[in-house]
Amino acid sequence: MIWLTWRQHRGEALTAFAVLAVLSAILLAVGLPMHASFNHDIVQCIDGSAVDREVCSTNLAVFEKSSGFATAILTLLNVLPFLIGALIGAPLLARELETGTWQLAWTQAVPRMRWLVVKVVALVTLTVVLTGAFAALITWFRQPLDALYGRNELDGFDVEGLVPAGYGLFAFALGAAAGGVLRRSIPAFTASLLAFVAVRATVASMLRPHYQPPLTLVENIDAGSHGIEIGTGNRADWTLDEGFADATGQRLTRTDINSFDDMARNAGVNLTTYMHNHDIQRWVDYHPASRFWDFQYIEAGIFVGLAAILLALVIWRVKRRAL
Amino acid sequence: MTTVMADLAVRTEGLDKRYGRTWALHDCTLTLPSGRVAALVGPNGAGKTTLLRLLVGLLAPTRGSVEVFGQSPTTNTATVLSRIGYLAQEHPLYRRFSVADLLRFGRACNLRFDSGLARRRLDSLGIPLDRKAGALSSGQQAQVALALALAKRPELLVLDEPLASLDPLARREFLQTLMGAVADDGVTVVFSSHVIGELERVCDHLVVLNHGRIALSGDIETLLADHRLLVGPRTTNNLDHTPSVIEATHAERHTTMLVRDGGAPPAPGWQPYPVSLEELILGYLRHPAAHDTGHAAEHSEAAA
Repeated sequence: MIWLTWRQHRGEALTAFAVLAVLSAILLAVGLPMHASFNHDIVQCIDGSAVDREVCSTNLAVFEKSSGFATAILTLLNVLPFLIGALIGAPLLARELETGTWQLAWTQAVPRMRWLVVKVVALVTLTVVLTGAFAALITWFRQPLDALYGRNELDGFDVEGLVPAGYGLFAFALGAAAGGVLRRSIPAFTASLLAFVAVRATVASMLRPHYQPPLTLVENIDAGSHGIEIGTGNRADWTLDEGFADATGQRLTRTDINSFDDMARNAGVNLTTYMHNHDIQRWVDYHPASRFWDFQYIEAGIFVGLAAILLALVIWRVKRRAL
Repeated sequence: MTTVMADLAVRTEGLDKRYGRTWALHDCTLTLPSGRVAALVGPNGAGKTTLLRLLVGLLAPTRGSVEVFGQSPTTNTATVLSRIGYLAQEHPLYRRFSVADLLRFGRACNLRFDSGLARRRLDSLGIPLDRKAGALSSGQQAQVALALALAKRPELLVLDEPLASLDPLARREFLQTLMGAVADDGVTVVFSSHVIGELERVCDHLVVLNHGRIALSGDIETLLADHRLLVGPRTTNNLDHTPSVIEATHAERHTTMLVRDGGAPPAPGWQPYPVSLEELILGYLRHPAAHDTGHAAEHSEAAA
């Protein structure tokens, strides 16, 4: 059965390996110089130990300019766990059904439940290995970027750690289920893509910010300072929202804030001084960088759970011979 | 009594299969002694494929039971699966597998698999082992599929329209291989077909399926001896509700009836003629209400 699984799915497996190999080559070619340029000077800027702030910000600007395209590439790579999972999952039943070979496969002396379980276990393992390798590769590549920007935002969180394997599994299960229903590989792949994008977008935008209650930072505004800081001071924290609140803690609207400008001018004082004098505070809702792994466990758990439900449906369908 | 049961290759009782709200098979009760070569005939959509898939465990019945050599194929155990060989319609094969890969597939997925036998069969047909299945002709693909099914050394071989996609030469070769296997191993065969002409040479058992019901089933010689054509003066009586009359056709002067009277002497004025297998099958197919009622002798009153 293992031989049969390999013989039938080696095309997809080798394609996925080839894509990963090419991607590794590209990321190494781009990533090694990037890692090299992320030198001592820049690290000092981030941890605040830099002596010369002027030199520091120049170095940082140069680095950001040269590595800016990397984040764009990484956003595109979001689709890779799906491609790997669905490429392997969609043909599992669909190809047997569209060519009629299910009748050949299930009339040998291997009971169909055994046939299905062996294949699912083997292909799930392959999917997890491939998407895990993908995540490891990206995690290495993004080390400087993570240090600089953190990895809780979409371009980091979605391609690092555990979640790519979860997405891959989910795509595999979607492909397998759609293949069982639609009986054609290509439509099954397309339907999986639509469902995958819908679920991923919903989870990332609606659920993920609420995995844990966000923390809120409240700060007074220094009188006479030139600008007002943004964020939590740690670039790796995931800022959900920020703004200003009055002395009672009531959060202020955009219009309120805009009116401060005029009032400060009328009062003849600096804006920050004006805000300081009126006990205006700055607040930030955020998830600290340290929550990265908690969030990874939760999100990976959601997608592994969804995949398990879909695979149970596939097994149930095959078992009761509804095909 | 138990030995009689063991001698049955196939036994179905009250078999129903429903897809959604449509009945594909209804109340099929059928027995097939082992060692027989049975033809399953019926128009398209009669439920032939459904019945065959139930026999090999690809489908589970909605109601009723199927037994193959006393075991239920629905349980899908390795034991029962290894006793049944199945060749599906259009003999599906993994097209990207070489013939040798397909033999390896057979070895990997079966408890017993006679690779040597399959190899010899394919050799003698001149089918190269390193050729991809998709590159073979339709006739060769059918032969490979048959060799795979036979290498399982099944006790029951089920074939769904094995001749449909073959040209006359390939048909002949296919039937030759099949009949060779029957002679060698005594395997019980059930195959569906709508090529009635070829059945008579190879089959000794007939099952006629119409609108999901079994219209007729039995040993071909017995069936032919039981049925006759009676030709006599044109009669206006409504004959369709007389049990022994399967079909009546009226010409200008006379009426021809297909009757199942067990060879009893006909009423005066009626001339008996033997019926051919084709006439018998067509008679049952044209008369959807006709069913297997056993013997009846009221034909003389009906004819009078």
